[in-house]
Amino acid sequence: MDFEFSVIIESLPALLEGAKLTWFITILGIVGGMSIGILAGLGRLAGTESLGEEPQGFFKPLSVLIRYVSGGYVESIRGTPIIVQAMFLYFAFPMLVKAVIDIERFRVEALTAAVITIMVNAGAYIAEIVRGSVISVHKGLLEAGMSLGISRFQLIAHVIGPIAIRRMIPPLGNQFIISLKDTSLFIVIGVGELTRQGQEIMASNFRALEVWLTVAILYLIMTTCLAMTLRYFEKKMKMF
Amino acid sequence: MSIIIELKNVCKSFGNTEVLHNIDFSVTEGEVVVVIGPSGSGKSTLIRCINCLEMITSGELIVDGISIPAERKRTRQIRLEVGMVFQSFNLFPHMTALENVAFGPRKARKVGKTKATDIARALLGKVGLADFEDKLPGQLSGGQQQRVAIARALAVNPKVMLFDEPTSALDPEMIGEVLDVMKGIAKDSGMTMVVVTHEMGFAAQVGDRLIFMDDGKIVEEGKPGEVMKNPKSERLKDFLGHVKHH
Ligand SMILES: Nc1ncnc2c1ncn2[C@@H]1O[C@H](COP(=O)(O)OP(=O)(O)OP(=O)(O)O)[C@@H](O)[C@H]1O
Ligand SMILES: [Mg+2]
Repeated sequence: MDFEFSVIIESLPALLEGAKLTWFITILGIVGGMSIGILAGLGRLAGTESLGEEPQGFFKPLSVLIRYVSGGYVESIRGTPIIVQAMFLYFAFPMLVKAVIDIERFRVEALTAAVITIMVNAGAYIAEIVRGSVISVHKGLLEAGMSLGISRFQLIAHVIGPIAIRRMIPPLGNQFIISLKDTSLFIVIGVGELTRQGQEIMASNFRALEVWLTVAILYLIMTTCLAMTLRYFEKKMKMF
Repeated sequence: MSIIIELKNVCKSFGNTEVLHNIDFSVTEGEVVVVIGPSGSGKSTLIRCINCLEMITSGELIVDGISIPAERKRTRQIRLEVGMVFQSFNLFPHMTALENVAFGPRKARKVGKTKATDIARALLGKVGLADFEDKLPGQLSGGQQQRVAIARALAVNPKVMLFDEPTSALDPEMIGEVLDVMKGIAKDSGMTMVVVTHEMGFAAQVGDRLIFMDDGKIVEEGKPGEVMKNPKSERLKDFLGHVKHH
C-alpha cells in the first residue's frame, strides 16, 4: 500500500469547495431548524401547565389545534428517514405541485431541497429537545413566578426560557452534529457537498485512502467547530 | 378593619376527589392567621386557592374586592396583592439574590431598574442578607434562601402574605432566623398573613387566630393560646399531642 501525500494536495481545493457547501447547508439548516424547533416544541406544549396555566375561552380549542399540528409534524418527520424526506422534496413534491396547480415548469433546486430538508428534519428533533427542557423546569418555579403576578409571556421569557435553554445546550450540540453529518446524504440528489466531491475525485483517481481520509478529517474539523461553539455557550452561561 | 380575604362555601376537587368541603373563612386586614392540621388535610390547597394557584371548584372567593370565579380574568391582580412563600423556596436558580428580589417589582409592577434594585437592596437588608446580594440561590443555605424568598414576595408590595410551611424544609438551627423575619413582618408592617406551620411557639406569639383543619374542613378556630390550651375536638387534642412531641 502506498500513500501519496500529493493526492491530498491535489484534491484539496475541490474537497474544500465541498466542505464549504456542507457548512453552508448545515448553518442555514440549523438556523431554520432552531426557529421551527422552538415554535413546534412550544407548540406541543401550548395550553399545558408547563407553560403556566391552562388557557381559558377561545384559546383553549386553539391550543389543542396547535398541539396537534406540532405533534403531527414532529412525529411524521421522526418517523421517516431523512433520505426519503430529501427524495420526496426533490422528486415527488414538484410532481405533486404540478398536479394540484397547473404550473409548467416547477422544480426544486437540489441545494434548496437540501437546505429545507435539514431545516425541517432538525426542526422536529429540536422541537423535542425544546419540549423536554421546558417540561423539566421545576413546577414550583412557575408557581413562584405566577404568584408574583407576572404575565404568561414574562414567565416564559424570564423564568422558563433561561432555565430551559441551559438544559437544551448539550442535546442541541448533539443534534447540530447529526445534522451536519446528515448533509452527506444529499449525494443522492446531486448536491456537490463534501461527500459527493470525495466520491467524484475517487472515481477519477481511485485513491480511496487519501481521499476518504481527507474527507473524514474535514468532517471532523467542522463537527469540532460546532462542538466547541456550544461548549463556549455552555461555559458562558451561569451554571447552577 | 375590613375583610380582605373571604371564602364563601368553597369546595375544591382534584378530579373526583373533593379535598376542601364547603369552607367558609375570612381574614381581616392586618390579621395573622395560623393554619395547622395533619398531612393531607387541605392546608396547602386552601392557601393555594387564595392566590388562584388552584382554582376553586365551587363557591366564591373574594380577595381585595375581586370575586372569583366571576372575575377570573383578574387573577393576576389578585396575585399582585397576595405574596406567597413556599416550603421549597423556589428561588429562580439563574438569578442572584438581588435579581430574584428585584424581579417582581421590575416585571410585575413595571418599576424602573434602579428603583427596583433599591427596593431589593432594602428588603435584603431587612431580612439580614445585605452581604449576599450577588450570591446565586445554590450558594445560599436553606434559611438564607427562604429569607430571600420572603424578600422576593414582599418586593411586589402585596397586601397579604401566604406562607406554606416555610420552615418545614429547614434544618433546626435555621428555623429561628426565618421565623424571626416573619415575626418582624407581622409586627412592624402589620402585614395580613396566612401561615401554614407547625411551629406552635410562633402561632402563640404572633398569631391572632389559629385554625385547625382536618379532612378538608375547618374543625376548630380561635385565639391561638386558648385553642391550644383547651382543644375541643378529639382530633385536635390528638394532633397537638403529636406536634408537642416533636
Ligand atoms: N394537584 C393535586 N392533584 C390531586 N390531588 C391533590 C393535589 N394536590 C393535593 N391533592 C390532595 O389533596 C389533599 C390535600 O392536600 P394538601 O396538600 O392541601 O394537604 P396539606 O394539608 O397541605 O398536607 P401536608 O401537611 O402534607 O402539606 C391530599 O389528599 C392530596 O393528596
Ligand atoms: Mg401542604
